[in-house]
Amino acid sequence: MTTLVIDTATSRTSVGLFDGAVPLFAGRHDGATEHGEALPPLVSGALDLGRPITQVLVGMGPGPFTGLRVGITFAEVFARAKGVSWSGICSLDGIVSGIKGEYIVATDARRKEIYWAKFDSGKRITEPKVSLPEEVRAMGLPVYGEGASKYGFEADIDMIYPHPLFMLAALEWADGVHQPMYLRKPDAVPTSER
Amino acid sequence: MTQSLPLVLGIETSCDETAVGIVSGRKLLANVIASSVNEHERFGGVVPEIASRAHLEAVWPAIARATNEAKVSLDDLDAIAVTAGPGLVGALLVGVSAANGLALALDKPLYGVNHLASHVAVDLLTHDKTVGPAIALLVSGGHSSILKLDSLAGSYEQLGRTLDDAAGEAFDKIARLLGLGFPGGPLIDSEAKSGRAEIDFPRGMTAAKDQADHRFDFSFSGLKTAVSRYVKATPEYQRANVAASFQEAVVDVLTMKSIDACKESGIETLLIGGGVAANSRLREMAEDRAAKAGLELRIPPASLCTDNGAMVAALGAELLRQGVKPSDLGIAVDSSASVSVVSF
Ligand SMILES: [Zn+2]
Repeated sequence: MTTLVIDTATSRTSVGLFDGAVPLFAGRHDGATEHGEALPPLVSGALDLGRPITQVLVGMGPGPFTGLRVGITFAEVFARAKGVSWSGICSLDGIVSGIKGEYIVATDARRKEIYWAKFDSGKRITEPKVSLPEEVRAMGLPVYGEGASKYGFEADIDMIYPHPLFMLAALEWADGVHQPMYLRKPDAVPTSER
Repeated sequence: MTQSLPLVLGIETSCDETAVGIVSGRKLLANVIASSVNEHERFGGVVPEIASRAHLEAVWPAIARATNEAKVSLDDLDAIAVTAGPGLVGALLVGVSAANGLALALDKPLYGVNHLASHVAVDLLTHDKTVGPAIALLVSGGHSSILKLDSLAGSYEQLGRTLDDAAGEAFDKIARLLGLGFPGGPLIDSEAKSGRAEIDFPRGMTAAKDQADHRFDFSFSGLKTAVSRYVKATPEYQRANVAASFQEAVVDVLTMKSIDACKESGIETLLIGGGVAANSRLREMAEDRAAKAGLELRIPPASLCTDNGAMVAALGAELLRQGVKPSDLGIAVDSSASVSVVSF
């Protein structure tokens, strides 16, 4: 089983290639508006190893919409064109590993908000939400991820972005996600309400 | 055989149409269009985020349907082409990401192409003559330009553009004002059929001074204001007459300036493309005036005027045929791409 792993739900674009659980390739690019340009060369780097891909795994968010869609669209079309299976997981499930007890994983939702969910010893126990950091702060739990450092939570680990290795591991326990996790409605006011 | 008749799949997602077309050389094999237009209706215009979400949902089904209709397999393709600009950034990115996914999965060359040049390239599919030199009038909800081109994959110059609303936007706004709904183009066209163009609305950018400074530019905001004032001041106005008179004012300027552009540059072919090219009065007046001026007029059938994937595929096939280098990995979409860049 050779798995291509892709995530574009945060400001990082991540690509990994695995033979079973053995990493063959890992590449990343940081830039909140550069997913579209960064992803193809990264995947091309993984394909250069010449291994036939047998499945594709992609982070379905939550994440800022435009970048998030780059990874999902690419992953779905790539997998279908190859005739291999593809699956999606919640990107928050692939950020943190090896922490005991309850904690929060949060990413940057922009507009002064964070996307977050509660975990217990490596497994997510709530649905992802988008809210002000204060709502999370009031829970008094450790907070990890991109949304932690940006909003002044104490984060003493360097697990900040979805990591292909943890995403692949999460595939073992996480629920499959079939739709992009936008968590917000598009900004638009019907003409009747203007 | 593939040398002379390249099989190319084109993806177009620059606005609210998720479109995939397949051509073999200059022959149209499939033209699949899924539109999110109904989802935008209650907002009175295209909402970029709604359009982008719809593109993600629709893009693979459109690819699959197009290969079915064309009776080809993805492996048979010689290249992929995709609109990389101008257009809505988030919308363009879905198409470009899908195209990248296809190109890398199939190990095929990818051409990121200019949306405006694609509107011109669709002309390839309707006859077997060469395309260009020509003047192209491209009018839609997103653009209103007069272009001059020497050849399809050659050099393009924008002679004029709209200084405010696109022509299609003006149709949308007036349709809303008249309570006709969205999108405005076809609704005004059919309403106007039972009316008389007897109200003398202003023709934007045609005064002597504007003709000097903005010879081939358009402006529709003054017209919009005039229609709105007229409707307010005339409680018992005849809707069909207002629609017909507004349409006449738009079409008059569009055709007049394009024909002037042909005359001034000594070019004998006028191409019209974009969604507004489906307007029946525009077709009628353009035919009439082009004939009088001794110009050859080419307007593709309506299904190839509105945004579509076939036009993108047609341009891609032409670039491939001419041996133009494919795009590098990681095409940057360009929402305001200039028409001087045909492929990215
Ligand atoms: Zn267009």
